[in-house]
Amino acid sequence: MRMRPSEERVEALARTVESTIRFPYKRSLGPVLGAFMTALTEQRIIGIRSGTRVIVPPLEWDPQTAEELAHDFVDVGPAGAVTSWSWVAKPTSQHPLDRPFAFALVKLDGADTAILHAVDAGSIDAMATGMRVAPRWKAKRKGHITDIDAFVPGEQPVVADDDEGPAAEPVTMMEYDAAITYNTPVTPNVERAEKATDEGRFLGLRCPVCARTYTGGKGYCPVDAVELTPENELDLPQIGTVTNYTIITPVQYPGQTETEPFARVHVWLDGTDVVLGYQPLLDTPNDDVRIGMRVAAMWASDAEKADNDARAESNLVGWMPTGEPDVTDPDLANRIC
Amino acid sequence: MTTTRSTHGPDDIAIIGWSISPMVRNTDKTEVQMLLEVITGAVTDAGITRKEVDFTCAGSCDYVAGQAFSFVQNIDALGAWPPKRDSHVEMDGAWALYEAWVRLLLGDIDVALAMGSGRSSTADPALIYSMEMDPYYLAPLGADATSLAAIQARVLIDSGKVSERQMAEVAVRCRRDAKTNDHAQVAGDFDAATLLAGEYVRAPLRKHDLPPITDGACAVVIARADKARELCEHPVWITGFGHYSEMHNPGMRDLTSSPSTTLAAKAAGVDERPVEVAEIQSAYTHEEPLLVEALGLGADVAINPSGGPLASNPIMATGLVRVAEAARQIRDLGRHRTLAHATSGPCLQQNLVCVLEGDPS
Repeated sequence: MRMRPSEERVEALARTVESTIRFPYKRSLGPVLGAFMTALTEQRIIGIRSGTRVIVPPLEWDPQTAEELAHDFVDVGPAGAVTSWSWVAKPTSQHPLDRPFAFALVKLDGADTAILHAVDAGSIDAMATGMRVAPRWKAKRKGHITDIDAFVPGEQPVVADDDEGPAAEPVTMMEYDAAITYNTPVTPNVERAEKATDEGRFLGLRCPVCARTYTGGKGYCPVDAVELTPENELDLPQIGTVTNYTIITPVQYPGQTETEPFARVHVWLDGTDVVLGYQPLLDTPNDDVRIGMRVAAMWASDAEKADNDARAESNLVGWMPTGEPDVTDPDLANRIC
Repeated sequence: MTTTRSTHGPDDIAIIGWSISPMVRNTDKTEVQMLLEVITGAVTDAGITRKEVDFTCAGSCDYVAGQAFSFVQNIDALGAWPPKRDSHVEMDGAWALYEAWVRLLLGDIDVALAMGSGRSSTADPALIYSMEMDPYYLAPLGADATSLAAIQARVLIDSGKVSERQMAEVAVRCRRDAKTNDHAQVAGDFDAATLLAGEYVRAPLRKHDLPPITDGACAVVIARADKARELCEHPVWITGFGHYSEMHNPGMRDLTSSPSTTLAAKAAGVDERPVEVAEIQSAYTHEEPLLVEALGLGADVAINPSGGPLASNPIMATGLVRVAEAARQIRDLGRHRTLAHATSGPCLQQNLVCVLEGDPS
């Protein structure tokens, strides 16, 4: 079966949400990569012997036989020959140089494999397969592949006048901190649900097959795997029962504004399948939070909305006990979603 | 790596339905919604419902989605209630199909569904794919897939195996063939000389040597022999399936060849009988002649009549789309024996080959 593009829902692209995710990895290096990174701080490039071959950069195991390699390191280079290269006219934020450069495979003198690195040649016209290059060392080295700032044309390594020398201790860890910015489309269902909460309503969606209800924004029924559209929308009740709860002792992290232990409750909206998770409970000491409590939604007043923290996700302030008798269904605790 | 041969017995497994989503530069759908459509499309094509699917396996990538454990949400597209047997690979959907095929070989269930999905438009692919490289030696350099592909292209050019002109001609042919493919993003009549006048993106690769950035998904339904015959008039039999991997770092490999492709082709029995069509995951123009040689295909084999990944390249589904297109050649276009190829990792590190055959006519 083939779906033609013309059958695709034609809609102007909804707004998108931009989010930048950082990946601040710290990695332990072990005896082989650690030795390589430590050598870099000493302005040395080392390989590891595997039979008659020298593998650069060194690996812990022979890539062809998977035999663990003895820690028989050998200095290579510092100069070598470019075996292949590509010219990067517009570097990305992750690239080692912020001006046009070449990525190249460099077979260092004494090595049987090539190492990938940047070649700072200034111009694509200065690049050629077979050309000789040598490392330009960063002045401040920490035991990282980028301690080699780049390779440069010629035989002689380049060392800065303000070189800070080798690491005081063997290098055992490395950091790798990348970031990617994503633009995720906001679906029409999510937009309508957000508009509803702005108006003090819970927008629900009822599956036309199984009649289960979901909170607004869900684009589909996950049980029947059918799309949910505005035709399936309904307003959900604003009163419900606490099915379960947790008391959170806050740890301080960016964005955490709570300082004292606080309750988060799951609220099962009356007459629906909808359980809203991790909701704030208002005007209730932590010792009084109970499964079965009857609660009602509290929305921010217009004045409060104006004062709202810009980061607030909606104008739902939380849930206020109604004072009705508790519901005493022993199965309530199982309804957390 | 494992493989099997068609023995015309109960352990034969056939493709009985598939669906390919629209291939677009920017979708307004979530990944779940894209999957919802292709799963519905594939089970409908197979004449079944989701309830009759005994096992599902998805291929997707958290770095592409921009969300940890994104495949957990994607399960919403399956209708997994009552709960289903489900698995996931952080690989192209072609490897999900491989796992589904292995699962059916166990013999206790009859129908499986494999899917692949990716929304590459959400971020810059050049930033995403370097995250998947060796985290010590390659990723910290921001070594992106296209830069590494360009290095392999230059190795092939320097060795005399391909020329920039030949690469442009691959692009011309793929774009022309893509004119009849409803899913193609890049299609039309071009001439090599004009393309060669374009600027380099990553020399020696120009824009026409690169795949487009594509949002899309694909789903394929497979069944064991008895069930396939019950459900389907023209099952497309999987008669060979293999995959092999090479070492990761391109600086430690001979980039003029693709030995893992050759091994996978051998394991899948490609050379046992003639192949009429090959849908191969050559996302860069220079990879096509290299893969054709590694697969041992002659000049009489039609390569990527769909336009291939150069026409649309839904990362994480591109390989599975090759399987669906190769199956379409048999069921809908009357071919007898086709193959699909999928690849993963920098410079064709890992390669999968799936051989498909129709019933004797």
